[in-house]
Amino acid sequence: MVRRTYTRPMEGWWRRDPFFVRYMAREATSLFVELYALILLAGVVSLARGPAAYEAWLAWLASPFAILLHVLLFFVFAYHTLSWFRIMPKTMPPVVVAGRAVGPRAITGAGVAAAVAASLAFVAVVAALAP
Amino acid sequence: MPDGAKTIRIEVLRYQPGERQEPYAEVFEIPFTHDMSVLEGLQYVKDNLDGSLTYRWSCRMAICGSCGMMIDGKPRLACRTFLRDFEGTVRVEALAHFPIERDLVVDASDFVEKLPRIRPWIEARAPRDLAQGEYLQTPDELARYEQFSHCINCMLCYAACPQYGLDPKFIGPGLIALLHRYNQDSRDAAAGKRNELVHADEGVWSCTAVGYCSEVCPKQVDPASAVNRNKTASALDWFARFLPGRG
Amino acid sequence: MQVFDADVVIVGAGGAGLRAAIAVAESDPRLAVALVSKVYPMRSHTVAAEGGSAGVVLPEDSLEHHFNDTVSGGDWLCDQDAVEFFVSQCTREMVQLEHWGCPWSRRPDGRVNVRAFGGMKIERTWFAADLTGFHMLHTLFQTSLKYPSIRRFDEHFACELLVDGGRAQGVVAAEVSTGELVSIHGRAVVIATGGAGRVFRENTNGGIVTGDGMALAYRRGVPLRDMEFVQYHPTCMPGTGLLFTEACRGEGGILVNKEGYRYLQDYGLGPPDPWPRKKAMELGPRDRLSQAFWHEERKGRTVDTPHGPAVHLDLRHLGDAKLRERLPQIREMALEYLAIDPALAPIPVRPAVHYTMGGIPTDAQGATRLAGLFAAGECASSGIHGANRLGSNSLAELCVFGKAAGEGAARFARGADAPGGSTLRWQEQDAATRAFAPLQGPAQGEALATLRREMAQSMERGCGIYRTAAELEATCLKLAELKERAARVSLKDRAQAWNTEWLGALELGYQLDVAQAMAHSALARRESRGAHQRLDGFTQRDDAQYLKHTLAWHAGAEAPRVTYSEVVITRSPPGERIYGKADPAHA
Repeated sequence: MVRRTYTRPMEGWWRRDPFFVRYMAREATSLFVELYALILLAGVVSLARGPAAYEAWLAWLASPFAILLHVLLFFVFAYHTLSWFRIMPKTMPPVVVAGRAVGPRAITGAGVAAAVAASLAFVAVVAALAP
Repeated sequence: MPDGAKTIRIEVLRYQPGERQEPYAEVFEIPFTHDMSVLEGLQYVKDNLDGSLTYRWSCRMAICGSCGMMIDGKPRLACRTFLRDFEGTVRVEALAHFPIERDLVVDASDFVEKLPRIRPWIEARAPRDLAQGEYLQTPDELARYEQFSHCINCMLCYAACPQYGLDPKFIGPGLIALLHRYNQDSRDAAAGKRNELVHADEGVWSCTAVGYCSEVCPKQVDPASAVNRNKTASALDWFARFLPGRG
Repeated sequence: MQVFDADVVIVGAGGAGLRAAIAVAESDPRLAVALVSKVYPMRSHTVAAEGGSAGVVLPEDSLEHHFNDTVSGGDWLCDQDAVEFFVSQCTREMVQLEHWGCPWSRRPDGRVNVRAFGGMKIERTWFAADLTGFHMLHTLFQTSLKYPSIRRFDEHFACELLVDGGRAQGVVAAEVSTGELVSIHGRAVVIATGGAGRVFRENTNGGIVTGDGMALAYRRGVPLRDMEFVQYHPTCMPGTGLLFTEACRGEGGILVNKEGYRYLQDYGLGPPDPWPRKKAMELGPRDRLSQAFWHEERKGRTVDTPHGPAVHLDLRHLGDAKLRERLPQIREMALEYLAIDPALAPIPVRPAVHYTMGGIPTDAQGATRLAGLFAAGECASSGIHGANRLGSNSLAELCVFGKAAGEGAARFARGADAPGGSTLRWQEQDAATRAFAPLQGPAQGEALATLRREMAQSMERGCGIYRTAAELEATCLKLAELKERAARVSLKDRAQAWNTEWLGALELGYQLDVAQAMAHSALARRESRGAHQRLDGFTQRDDAQYLKHTLAWHAGAEAPRVTYSEVVITRSPPGERIYGKADPAHA
């Protein structure tokens, strides 16, 4: 008697379940982080090249396309941050505060709150320094 | 079927190696009551409609781990999934990421063969004779590993893990959770030996923290935590070898 | 047919089988062990046991107390030499499991905790939350992986016991994935295949508990002992029969009828207070509690549920925290299956078949009367349970007798010749013919599910909590009819690979044989003792006529022959079973 098992293909696996779609979206956000890093790198390079190049980079940043891009990036980064803190509790050993275990949602919440607070503080500092 | 009985359709992915080359869907319509599980639905089909429908089962109370399968696309235990929670048609398929043997039975040999590799036994830190009685272990020490000892080997986490599906060399969530259970047991001293497997490519480093394994685990073992906690330990271990006195 | 050679063949890889395998491997690593199981070991029904495993530890406890509780719990049908051996080994085996990693629940000082259990004078039940069987099984299975001399034949369904020259010489088994038969030869055989509760309609058992090993030995001329003693566990889920552990009551749960009255006080188990009290009220023995339910139902004082009458198991006063810590699985079961939170509402429960006290008779070392054949666990009648088993003695039995049988088998194997008798090839061919017979059955014959259902309903009626000659005779006739019809079963599934309908037909054959042994033994025992209670004039215990074991002998197509054998009495002459207030210890 021949025993023949059937192996199902993995093509399109991530489309089969909303959980996987969210995971792939999370992973995809890192590409956008890389894109933003390249934009900043372009800024640093243009600064090294002299005031004209730097002004050109700043002008590009003010263009409608760049503004739209940055709005998009903001939402992508927000999802990136949220999903990062969602998985963070899994990477940590058990957290015990005052004899009680701290649950994953509390850890995620604390992380997101810290990120928001840091962002607001940064915006405040930049606004205060703006000419 | 009694008049006025509620019915539901169960669509099963059938596979019979002798007959057709490919799996195919077959639909059965069955009467059901409010407290019937999917397993009881399958039993109704096998007893009354088609005796060739094949599936594993035993305890009916979510402790033996036999009846794992994909129910409406999600890895679930058939004995603890209820027909009342579905509308119209329930789709049932063999557990994902394992080869299908027949109908809802998968080839589980990969999991079973990997089990000894994680050294799932106690190698005592301070061996005692039986006459000396039990090792002391406080409730706190027990709590450090107890949750990871609840794994019923149902393999739902393997069906949830796309990395295992893409590369079955990965040791996988359930077995790494069991490995972690032994590492965390205060009576055991073999973490060093087990961690060779943890640090390997097929150990924790195949995991990309999808996290679905912990979502589907019927016993709240939280394998994602067991695996990802060990990444930190594994990374620190890697750096520590550069310190004097190590490596 | 492919032949495998081993030294010790063990059929069944639950607690007893695994413990036996480890015992052989530890006693002599050069002996090859073949561990044969129709399911992967972690699916064995040991996994479902919940409450705990007995072993004397408290300073106020003693082997004498454990012995007395067990013997009186068994209504004096126990072989007292076996009980003496058993109680002397329990604690050692529980410590051994702990050394192997079993996560016993602990006291704050780190020592193992013990709790009260039904019919036991003093707390001696070791427990791992309410997952004791699960943890014991996984500990034994994972520990067994250390021994290279143990070779497993997972998902191999035993079809025949090979016997030659008056000795057990191995088994023929079907490899489930292909349907191919293999022959596994050994110089000694241990049967550890579990009980037979699935012959009844409502039971706590998993689908695999079909009396396979009992039937295989029975068909080879080994009698089955005390088969009429079937335990009804008093607190099971109506409909499915799923188990709510005795530990619910050990932790202080109470049983009330529809009027909210703790009815057990009307049945010689009271007074209701002070509570909790060992060996009183809800901590009485299982047979008495199941019988009390039967009477309450007759009086119309039970609660109606969609699955029939029930009483209420009330755990509310334990509180949510204690339920989560001590009874987590119970809580989960009540929530998932019944949408009931036991911290807020009582759980409907009623008796269901749980345990087979009878089985293959063994001596205190697990040896049967067939040379080279050993048995351990629920499939065996070791003599320790008598007419009624105490909770937490069964998990301990797996280890004590699993070890004894393993060591006995190892000793026997070392002194025996390798199998190779001329009749073995012939027996293997014969086994193949019999095993494949259902696959060659008629196209239009008997439906397997119908036969199974009729057997289960008849056993429920005839071999219930209370029995009468008329109903037992009807069941005996029905079983004979079903055996004849089963020869004409017609299977839808004619494939050979992974054919669970075919295996179900083989299991039905085993179940009908075992059920016959149960029903005929019950009919012949004209007294009431322990779990065997009659309403037809034989309502009292009759030591003069029936202080003996029943033996049922397979007679092919005919009804089994019933004879009797001696009960071993050493220290404890038959007395009265005293629970509740009458126990002088509670004065």
